[in-house]
Formats: sequence, structure tokens, C-alpha cells
Amino acid sequence: MNALDFPQLASADVIVEGFESHGYICSREIATAVFLACQLRKPILVEGPPGVGKTELAKTTATLLDLPLIRLQCYEGLDEAKALYEWKYGKQLLYTQVLKEKLGDLLQGAKGLAESVERLHHFGDIFYSEDFLEPRPLLKAMQSANGAVLLVDEVDKSDYEFESLLLELLSDYQVSIPEIGTVKATSTPLVFLTSNNTRDISDALKRRCLHLYIPFPTVELEERIIRARVPDVDADLRAQLVAFVHGLRQLDLKKVPAISETIDWARSLLLLHAEQLDEALVRSTLNVLLKFQDDIEATEPELRSLLSAP
Amino acid sequence: MPSRLVSFINVLRSHDLRISPAESLDAVNVVTRLGYADRESLRAGLSLCLAKSAEDKAVFTRCFDQFFSYQLPEARTDETAVGDQADSLPGVDPQALAEADKALAEASGEGGGSLDLAGEMAADPSLASQLDTPLMDMLQSDDRNGLSLAIARAGDAVGLPDIEMFTQKGQFTRRILDELGESHIRSAVVELENRGSGALGELQRYRDRLRELVRDHVEREYLLHAQGRNAQFMDDVLARARLNNIEHHYSQRVQALVRRMAKKLAARHARKRRVTKRGQLNMGKTLRRGVPNDGVLFELHWKSVRRDKPQILAVCDVSGSVAAYAKFLLMFLYNLYDVLPRVRSFAFSSHLGEVSDLFDQHSIEKAVELVNWQYGGATDYGGSLVDFAKLALDDIDSQTTVIILGDARNNNGDPRLDIMQSVYARARQVIWLNPEARVMWGSGDSEMPRYLSCCHIAAECSSLAHLERIVDQLLRSHR
Repeated sequence: MNALDFPQLASADVIVEGFESHGYICSREIATAVFLACQLRKPILVEGPPGVGKTELAKTTATLLDLPLIRLQCYEGLDEAKALYEWKYGKQLLYTQVLKEKLGDLLQGAKGLAESVERLHHFGDIFYSEDFLEPRPLLKAMQSANGAVLLVDEVDKSDYEFESLLLELLSDYQVSIPEIGTVKATSTPLVFLTSNNTRDISDALKRRCLHLYIPFPTVELEERIIRARVPDVDADLRAQLVAFVHGLRQLDLKKVPAISETIDWARSLLLLHAEQLDEALVRSTLNVLLKFQDDIEATEPELRSLLSAP
Repeated sequence: MPSRLVSFINVLRSHDLRISPAESLDAVNVVTRLGYADRESLRAGLSLCLAKSAEDKAVFTRCFDQFFSYQLPEARTDETAVGDQADSLPGVDPQALAEADKALAEASGEGGGSLDLAGEMAADPSLASQLDTPLMDMLQSDDRNGLSLAIARAGDAVGLPDIEMFTQKGQFTRRILDELGESHIRSAVVELENRGSGALGELQRYRDRLRELVRDHVEREYLLHAQGRNAQFMDDVLARARLNNIEHHYSQRVQALVRRMAKKLAARHARKRRVTKRGQLNMGKTLRRGVPNDGVLFELHWKSVRRDKPQILAVCDVSGSVAAYAKFLLMFLYNLYDVLPRVRSFAFSSHLGEVSDLFDQHSIEKAVELVNWQYGGATDYGGSLVDFAKLALDDIDSQTTVIILGDARNNNGDPRLDIMQSVYARARQVIWLNPEARVMWGSGDSEMPRYLSCCHIAAECSSLAHLERIVDQLLRSHR
């Protein structure tokens, strides 16, 4: 169970540096969260607006620790068969067909049905053993010998039943399979759950997790993120575009541009060889930042004031 | 050390954060991992396990800054060192003290003229013994840490964290001063006064400084502990008060309360879209899924029913006497949007109209104001029911709940019971909420007894607590 003692996660400062070397610029809160999750062996529930790097956090952690990332994307109707485990029905069937003859041999000489069944009992639950078990992401994370990073993405999209399913897993790092028994994690995986706040996560789940809220970054942090992600953009333009996006976030929009959109925009500006933001350029590239026509229309009259602000 | 943490958690709880014992344990673990030294990471770490939503985090940050602004220096000092300091103060270096006293006395002697405090003490052993207390030492040496620690301890000893009312502030200040042993200083002051000594001023300055420190401490603790508790008390009172008695300046608070109640109910009655009937095989699907397995039915599929979304028709009397209640009912229903997406609302007094659009276009509070303004007037139940039948009778089906809020005082008009009966026959349930007490139903021009025959549930509904219970029942019936 001691697989979580990674030198890469020795302290919050080490984590900040480690993440930075992998191009993920994070605030101290985020680093502290990862540090504590590792120390206390608790899952992290990451909430925040879309596009602030919740999923990226899990990915970067996996790269940093050089562990496999096991990802479970949640959706309405996700159940144990898709998330936890399933029996390989086809294989079971194939084997029974192939072994038909063998079974005939075995049962030879048995008198009556009772005795035949009695004999079959001796072979017990061969067909319900681990060989016929198809592990799904959650079970896979439990079974990985050297630890893993488990990402349960957009847990708010799943049903309430699925949330209850997660409870056993998250508090004890084990799952119960009726036919086999309890499977305990060989080494504790590092678990990230992300949520976009489309609905409230139940208190029981929240209680078992550390709760990290990632807000939109400050101007300074966002500039550093752009510098790490799109290093070729020169400093002036970077400052300008970050300031512009921050201005946009103050407006009343349907979908506020997030960091991922800022990065995309910086990349597009780079492709257009832009050196300076001007109204025409912004107008023609606004669709990279804003994903609704309503938002674009609402923003256009404000462009001049947004650009001239500072 | 954890006792500070526990009292911090209590403060958070009094500010409406729900923190379970398990989370408190997590907090203790976090503190042992992070230590008190780095304030920023301590705040980040504690907020991870104590505040579990974006709103909670804001509250947490405010409380943390308030609470640890003056607790931290103390917490950072090693516990044993503090103990040493406190224990050793009475008798640790009497020699040094005596020397200092002597030096002071000499200094004042050289200055000539009036005696100062040290001089008085040197001159009068009884006075000296009275003032030779750790408290006085700390005051004289201006040992801020020692003083604030002593005050905090005395505060805990007299139960300051239980302070509830601002009127208790004076009382607690007095008790803390007594606990600290201020009485010695007081009597010394009296003695010096009688004697007309020149050292009086100095001693008085010490006394005043001490009182100021204690008052400050009491004030801070009051803000920290009592405010949250009072807010809870206030919410309790508001939930039980008759809704039309709630004064206007509480409306913000009541709205927040309604939102919170609605959130709680929504969490309890989360909607299931499909319900499987365990035990009834969905033969078609099972057969189809068996085809790849050579027709062997490995996977069983059960029949399930798709839940229809419940529809709520809220019909509210907005005449003067009942308007306040209508406002809260509508606020409640629209705050439950997650669980009850199909709410249509109607307002009436002399005539009836649908007001759902107002709620789509405006914020809930604003819409309620508009409704009251548009439809207020003398009540006519009969006419309004006719309007209602025209607008919505055809939409009432077995998934529909009709909620009628009103006092059924029809000004002696025709109650149009026939319409109510057809509504009753079609709807899943008809709920009548009457703000009047049950004993008043049927008195004067109230048509309540006759309408009762067309209701599945009729209930008195005059406070938020009533309202919460009714809505809870409503949601349960739709599961």
C-alpha cells in the first residue's frame, strides 16, 4: 500500500516545480491538494468552470509520476458493467462449447441427476473466476500493481446510483464482486474526480474526498500558463491577449472563455503572425474564444472598450 | 493544539458549513502534515477538507482570516515554551526583577521629586506584594504575547466562546479581568488614590491598557462565535414566524433561507428518469442480446418505466391578505427547478392570468413583485376558476399536481365548485394551502369547507416550516 511515497510529490513546492517542467502551471492550492491527497491517501474532487485544467491536472500527475492514467468518462446511464467489471460471456460460452466433450467424460458413470450435479459442484466456480472477468476502469485501477492515476471524469453527469457505487471504492480502495469476493487495491491509486457543477454531488461522496475548487486564474498566472503552453507568442501580445480575455470574463456571457480557449486563441494569433491586437483581428478570431453566436454578438459592441482598457 | 482547530471548526459550523466528524479528523491530519508555520498552505489545506463547495470556500476564507489573524502567533509558539513562560513567571527571576526595581527606584531618585510606581512599591512592601503578580510583570514589560495568551486562557476559563448576546460583553469583560487577577491592581489603585501618590497615573495607565486589551478580545470573540449562532437562531425564528409578519428588512435573509431549504429538498428528492422493475423480464431485449451468444440468454434485461416529468400548476391568490404567502410559495417552487422543471404559475384575485413567463424573464424576486402588482385586487374565486379552466384545464393530466394557495374568502360570490370538481377528477393531486388557522376555515365568507371536498390535501400553511413540509410531501409523491 506504500506506492504513494513518490519523491516527485514530497512537498507542495516540489510539485509546483514538477508540474511546471511538464508545462502545467499551477497555483499553490492545487499543489497542496495533490500533496495532501498523496499523504492522506484520499481522492480529490476537482470542481470549477469548464476549461480550467481539471482533467489536465490528472493527466499531468500521471506523466509526472510516470504512472498509467486510467480514465473513466461518466455519462447518464453508466453502470457497474461499464465502470467496474463484467463477465466475459462470450468466452464462457465458447469454453463450455469446447469443453462439452470433456464434460461428458466427467459425468460418465454418474447415476441420476443429483450425482451429476454433485460432481459438477467439485469444479466449483471455474467459469466465474478471474480469468473470465473483464476488468473495467475502476477495477483495473485497483489491480494495477505499481499504482495508477485514476481519473473519473465529469462525475456530475453520472446517476446517483453510480455515485453510491463509488463510495466503497473511494473510502477503502476495494470493490466487492459477489462471485469472487472483495478485491483490495494492491497499491493505492491516486484518484481524481472532476465535476462541472451541473448538479450537486452528494454529501457522502464529498465527505470522502478532498475538495479542490479551481477558479479562473489570475492575470499573472494565466500569462505564465500561456508562456508555458505557447512559448512563441511575444510578451506584449501575451499581456494584451490575457488582459482581453479577463475583460471578456467580466461580461455577462453564456459560456465564458476558459484557459483552454485562451491557449487556442494564442495559437491562432501565432499562426496569423499577429504582433498586436487590433479590432479587426479580434473580430475575425472571436469565434475561437466564444462558442455561441449570442455571445459574439453581445461582445462586438464592447470590443473597443475592452481593447483600450489597459 | 487540536483544541484550537476544534474551536475553529465550531466557528465554521456556526457559519452554516456542514462539517462531519470524519472531515474534522481529516483536518487534524492535514494540520499534522502541514504545520501552522505556513499560513497560506494551511489555509489551502484546510479548505480542501472543510469547505466543499465554491460558496463554502468563500465563507471559509473569511472565517480563517478572522480566526487565525490573532491565533496564529500563539499557535506557532511551542506549547511547552508557552507553558514554561506562564509557569515560570511568578518566581523565575525575582533577583533580576528586584534589581530592575532597584535600578528604576534609583533612576527616579536621581530624577528627584515625586515618587513613581516602582518607588512606591519599594517604599511600601504591602503594596509591592499586591502588585507582584505575573500580570503586572507582563504589563510592565509590555509582553504582548504573554498578555494575549493569558487573556485567551482566562476567556476560555470563563466560557467566553459561549457568548450569545452583545449585552453580555460587559459581563464577560469583567469576569475575564477577575480571572486575570485584576482586582489586585484595582485595590492598589484605590490605595494609591487615598494616599494621593504620584504613581497613581502610571498604575492607572496599566489598568486601562489591560481593560482595553480584554475588551478587544471579547469583541473579537463575540463577532466570531455569537454572530453565526445568532444568525442560526434568527433563521429558526424566521422559519417559524407567520409569513406576513416577516418585516421587509428581513426579506434578503428569508430568501436565502428559502433557497437553502429548497436545495435541501432538491438533494433529498433527486429525480430518477428510469426505474427498473426488478423481476419483470424484458423478453425482447434479452433475446436480442442473446443472439451473439448463440441464442443463450446470458444477459438479462428488466422492464423499466420511464418516469414522466411531474407538472406543477401553482394557483396563487395575490390579494392583499394572502400575497405574502404566495410570494414564498412561488419562490420555493422556482428554486426547485432541478427537481421540478415543469412549473406553471397562475395568479389571481379579481381575475386570473398565467404568470410563468414573468419567471422566465426575470429573477424570482423581481417576478414575484411584478405578479403582486399586476393581479392584486378584491378576490373572486368563481371568476378566477373560470379563467383557470379556460387556460389550463386541458393540460391537467395524471402527472399534474395543482397547488392552490388562498384563504378561500370569496366575498360571498359563486364558488364554482363544478370547476374544482373537474380539476380534482383529472389531476394527480390537488393541494390547497390556506394561510388561515384551521379553526377559522368556514367562518364568515370562507368557502373552505366546500372546497375541501375537491382536495386531496388541504393544509394550513402560514410559515416557512409549514411550506417546507408541504413541498417535501409533494416531492415524495412524485418519486
